[in-house]
Amino acid sequence: MAEIIATTESLEQAQHLLNAGVDWLYAGEDEFGLRLPHSFGRDELPALVELVHQAGKKIMVAVNAIFHNDRIVKVADYLQFLTDLHVDMVSIGDPGAIHVLQTNRFPLPYLYDGADLVTSSRQINFWGRHGAVAAQVAPEVPYGELVPLMQHVDIPVSYLVYGASVIHQSGRPLVDNYFSFVKQHQERSDRQRGLFISAPHKPETHYSIYEDINGTHVFATNDVNLMPALTRVHDLGIQYWKLDGLFVPGQQFAQIAAAFVHARDALAAGTWTADLAADGQHVIADNTPANRATDTGFFDIDPNEVQ
Amino acid sequence: MIKRPEVLAPAGTLEKLQVAIDYGADAVYIGGDAYGLRTRAGNFSFDQMRAGVEYAHARHAKVYVAANIVAHEGNLPGAEEFFQHVQETGVDAVIVSDPALIQTCVLAAPGLAIHLSTQASSCNWETLNFWQDEGLERVVLAREVGIEEIKEMRRHTDIQIEAFIHGAMCIGYSGRCVLSNHMGLRDANRGGCAQNCRWKYDIFDMPQLGQKNDLTSVGPDGKKEAFSMSAVDMAMIDHIPDLIDAGVDSLKIEGRMKTVHYVSTVANVYSAAVDAYMRDPAHYHTDPAWVDDLWKVAQRGMSTGFYYGTPTEQDELFDEGRERPQYRFIGEVQAYDVATQTVTVQQRNNFGIGDPIEFYGPGFTHYAMTLQDLFDEDGNAIDRAPHAMQIVTFHCPHPVRPGDFLRGQRVRRPHQRKAVQHA
Ligand code: SF4
Repeated sequence: MAEIIATTESLEQAQHLLNAGVDWLYAGEDEFGLRLPHSFGRDELPALVELVHQAGKKIMVAVNAIFHNDRIVKVADYLQFLTDLHVDMVSIGDPGAIHVLQTNRFPLPYLYDGADLVTSSRQINFWGRHGAVAAQVAPEVPYGELVPLMQHVDIPVSYLVYGASVIHQSGRPLVDNYFSFVKQHQERSDRQRGLFISAPHKPETHYSIYEDINGTHVFATNDVNLMPALTRVHDLGIQYWKLDGLFVPGQQFAQIAAAFVHARDALAAGTWTADLAADGQHVIADNTPANRATDTGFFDIDPNEVQ
Repeated sequence: MIKRPEVLAPAGTLEKLQVAIDYGADAVYIGGDAYGLRTRAGNFSFDQMRAGVEYAHARHAKVYVAANIVAHEGNLPGAEEFFQHVQETGVDAVIVSDPALIQTCVLAAPGLAIHLSTQASSCNWETLNFWQDEGLERVVLAREVGIEEIKEMRRHTDIQIEAFIHGAMCIGYSGRCVLSNHMGLRDANRGGCAQNCRWKYDIFDMPQLGQKNDLTSVGPDGKKEAFSMSAVDMAMIDHIPDLIDAGVDSLKIEGRMKTVHYVSTVANVYSAAVDAYMRDPAHYHTDPAWVDDLWKVAQRGMSTGFYYGTPTEQDELFDEGRERPQYRFIGEVQAYDVATQTVTVQQRNNFGIGDPIEFYGPGFTHYAMTLQDLFDEDGNAIDRAPHAMQIVTFHCPHPVRPGDFLRGQRVRRPHQRKAVQHA
C-alpha cells in the first residue's frame, strides 16, 4: 500500500496530520531544505521527531537545497544531528550532500529529490546505485511516461499528488530587484506576502512567487490535485504519495491529507468509487485557500504534446 | 606558475567552428543531432563533427559535444550508439547533465571524456568531488558561483573547472526551470526553452481568486514597468586575471545560436586578453579596445553576474528593450592584392560607398576606413553591394588578410552597466 508523506508547518498541524493517518511527515530547515512551510530550527525539530515517532510514524527531513561552499560545510554536522535524532530518511538533491553523507557513513537513508530534473527510470536507477532508497519524480512527468517508468525503476518512487509545484528557482532576488528598481512595495517578498505573477495576455494565470534564503521560487499557476486520477496513481504502484502544504495552512491541510488517506485506504481495499472521489474533491475544494486553484497539472498531458 | 586557461567558444555550425578557432578559441562546443539543449541551433551531423574535429585538431584546438538534455522515459533508446559515434569522430569530450546519459556514455563509449553541464547547477566542492569520483574530467560551474567560491573549490578539488565568462544568461539555477514547460508545453531541459524569463509579467497580490491588487509600478522613466526576470548579459572582460588566478581551466563563451560576427569578435577579444595576461601578468590591464569590440556585438547591457555578489536591480533588464547590435557584419575578405591595394570581399550584408567600415582579424587586428570605391566581379563600378554572397572589390590602403571580417555602422552602446568600465 502506498505511504503518504505530508509536509508540516507546526507541531500542532503535525498532530492533526498524524491523526489524519499520514505515514510520513516531511519537514526541515531553510538552510538545508527547499520550499518548506516552516523552517524547523535545531531547537524545534527534536520535538517534532519525537511526536512522529511516538505516533509510530516516520519523518523525512529535507536536505535538498542547492548548496554553495558556505553551506555544504555545515551539512555533515546537520546530518550528524539528524542521525542522533533517528530521523527515518532525508531528501537530497545536490550530489555534494550525497558525497558528505557517504564519505561520513551516516546511517541515514536518502530519497533523491532533484526537483524537476528527476524524469526517467534510468536516472532514478543511477541514484539507486548511488545509495538512494527512493526518488521524488518530477511533477512534469505525465501519466503516459509514468507507466513505463514504473516498470523500469529499481527503487520506490514518490510523486506529488497534492500541492504547489515549483517551476523555477533562481539565485537572484527577482522580486526585490524589481521593487527596488521601481522603488515601490519594497518591504516584503517572502511567502507570507502572497505575491503572484501572471503571464502576458493571460490574466487568468497566477503563478505564486516568493523569495527566501535559497533564492526566488515560482510555482505553477494551479496546485496539483490528483484526487480525480487516484485510481491510475494507485494502479501505477507509486510507493509514496507526496502532499505539499506549502500554501495550505493548519487544519485545512490536515483535512486534505485525511481525504487522501481515505482514498488510499479505499483503493487498497478495492472500495474506491466515483462518489468517494467526488467527496474527496469536495473536501479539497472546501479546504483549498481562497486565492488558490487546483488541477491535475502535467499528469494528464500527452507526452507527445511536450516539445 | 600560472596555468593558461582555454578560451571555449560556441559553434553552432561548421563555419562558426572554423571561425572561432581561427579567431583564437582553444576549444569549441557544438551540438549533435540528438540530446543537445539547443534544438534550434545548427547542430552537427557525425560527418560535420568529424570535419570539425579534423579542422580543430590540426590547429591544436579541442571540440566538445553538448548532449545536455535531461531525458524522459522513452528518450534514451539510441543514446549508446550516439555516444559511440561521437567517440568515433574523435571529439575530445561530451558535455552531459543527466546522470542517465552519463551512465550511458561511460558504458557505451569508455574513455570518452565527460564534462558535467552547467545544467546540473554545481555550486560547491563536495559536488565537484562527487563527479570526479564518477570519473568525470570537468565540471561546468553553475552561473551562481562567485570568484571567491571558485578559489575555495580549487583548494578542495583538482577536477577541471569551466566557468561562463560572456554572453546571455539563464537566470534560474540552470536545470531548475520549467517555466517553458508550464507556459507553453516546451521542455526547457530538452531544448524547448522559450525564454519565458524574458517575458513581461504583471505582479500582484490576490486575497481571493480573481481579486487582484496590481503591484506593477512605474519605473524611473515615468513609464509603467512590467515585472520581468530578464537579466543583462555577462561580460568578464575586466576580470580575466581573477578567473585565471582562481584556477578556472576553461573560460566559456555562451551562444551557440549567435552569429559569425559575435563568435569571431568575442573569441578574438578573450583570447587576446588571456594571451596578454599570460605574457605579462604584472603589467596586464584591460585594453579598452577589447571592451569596445564586445559592445559592437552586444545585444544587451553587461554585468559580472554572480562573480562579485548577488545581482541587484542594476543587473536586471527592466527598462532596456532588446538592443540591436550597432555594428553589422558586412563581409569576409577573400583576397588582398598588395600591388594594387585591392581587397576582394564576399558580401554578407548590404554596404556601399561612403559607409564607414572596419576590418578585423585574428590576433585582434583592426583597420577602419570609409569606403571610397566599389566594383563588381566584372570590374564594373557600383555604388552598393546589395546581394548576399556577392563578390566585390575596392581600394584599401592597409593590407588585410583572407579570413578577416568587415563590419559596418557606428557604435551605439547600450546603457553602461557597472563593472565593465572601459566602454
Ligand atoms: S526561461 Fe529563462 S531561466 Fe528558464 S530555462 Fe529558459 S533561459 Fe533559463
